[in-house]
Amino acid sequence: MSKFFRRIGRYFREGFWGVVRHFAMAISSASAVTITLTLISIFLMFSFNLDQFTREIEGTVQVSATLNYDCDSEDETRIRSAILNIAGVDKVTYKTSDEEFDYFVQMYDADGKAGLREIYADQHPMHAAYYINVTSDADLKYIAEEVGKIEGIYETSYGGEGAVLLMDALDSVRYGGLILVGALSALAIFLISNTIKLTIYARNKEIAIMRAVGASNADIRFPFVIEGILIGILGSLIPVGLTIFGYIYLYQLLGGVLLTQMWPLIPAHPFVLYLAAILVIAGVSVGLVGSFFSVTKYLRWKR
Amino acid sequence: MLELKNVSKTYKNGVNALHDVNLRIEQGEFVYIIGPTGSGKSTLIKLLDGEEVPTKGVVDVLGINVGKLRHSKVPKYRRNIGVVFQDFRLLERKTVFENIAFAMEVLNEPSRVIRKRVRQVMNLVGLDDKGNAFPAELSGGQQQRVAIARAIANKPKILIADEPTGNLDPGKSDEIMMLLEKINREEGTTILMVTHDTVLVNKHRKRTLVLEAGYLVADMVEGGYFSHE
Repeated sequence: MSKFFRRIGRYFREGFWGVVRHFAMAISSASAVTITLTLISIFLMFSFNLDQFTREIEGTVQVSATLNYDCDSEDETRIRSAILNIAGVDKVTYKTSDEEFDYFVQMYDADGKAGLREIYADQHPMHAAYYINVTSDADLKYIAEEVGKIEGIYETSYGGEGAVLLMDALDSVRYGGLILVGALSALAIFLISNTIKLTIYARNKEIAIMRAVGASNADIRFPFVIEGILIGILGSLIPVGLTIFGYIYLYQLLGGVLLTQMWPLIPAHPFVLYLAAILVIAGVSVGLVGSFFSVTKYLRWKR
Repeated sequence: MLELKNVSKTYKNGVNALHDVNLRIEQGEFVYIIGPTGSGKSTLIKLLDGEEVPTKGVVDVLGINVGKLRHSKVPKYRRNIGVVFQDFRLLERKTVFENIAFAMEVLNEPSRVIRKRVRQVMNLVGLDDKGNAFPAELSGGQQQRVAIARAIANKPKILIADEPTGNLDPGKSDEIMMLLEKINREEGTTILMVTHDTVLVNKHRKRTLVLEAGYLVADMVEGGYFSHE
């Protein structure tokens, strides 16, 4: 058992000194990791918040369905139960045409209000309406269409239409970002494997001696893998700092919302810590994969 | 303890390095392997330490069929064999002590054991007071002593010395020879020494194997070397 710990200890010691010995090279590949992880971080912040907005909008947007003028209370009951049968409908509230008119009048200033009340003193053109709250994952468009098919419905609309379209557009931006992040990760892996390859060349003599005295393949390889992982961690330091402090700063600067109250940002804590953990894990994996490639490729040439 | 039966080696590029070599060496022997460049000496060494696989025949070392050894088993097998090179192959940035200790560290020996054994082999090769020196501060003969100390640190059964005196003047060569004889005597290590140096071979007479163009042309138990043009 103690031999096992000695061995692990040596892997880490050697890996650490490998980074120190080839510091310039380690820094150059770590900076590739830094750039990649910074972009991943921005991408993740964007992505998670977009998800949050989408959910927020879909949760608050109501579908309004106005009724024909000739609907009586029987029709109203029938329509209510028909609406409640549609998948994704959470809650329905009924507004009489008078209530609708009052709501409409509220949007004007004192003069306007008086004017409107005068013009429509006897009769106003408002319809009675149902306001439909939908569940968070519901498809607004589908619900609006289904409600429109019910007999006695005059018109349906949902206020968040523009917002939902915007979400769709942002979603495609997100896919583009995903591809960019993938390509950058591949580049970082390549750079790390290149660094490790150079380290292996630089330490050719040591490796030859290790072989000659009968060090096992794992004993030769693992220090290099540890070195790669350390480079990955080194590269993740700046992105982690940027993520934590940058997001907290932005959150405070924007007052917790993006542009309007409709788009609240995800609260900084503990969101930034999750992001930081993801970044460190990504850095470690990039380092691991990169070093493992070159170690396997360049140390396997002999028995 | 070391036996080659009908061993031939042909490299992938078609070069025939060894032809039907038969050979037996007992534990504790001291044997010279001589022959001109390209006679198959290096191939013989590579077959013995498991780096190459014979095309035909069996290489048996300490009861292990080296040619049939799986890749993963080669490192452990190699701990039975110490190798000394003509160009010493010391690590310049490490001290003498660290160079010798390195061979044991990579086998994950405890540092207490390493310190004890390193001091022991430094004494054996006569470099007690050079532990903190760097290789560049030593003479060629002293550097070769460090390399020998490193090769025997893990107590191999067999020590292969590949032209250990090739870079040294005759006086130093004699010293290295005497050191190898001492190791052979005191540690009981079997020693195979590859050399070009006929003066040395004639002076310190031992069993001598002569390789020429891949054939084992002579195996002289009484030693000595003579030209037979």
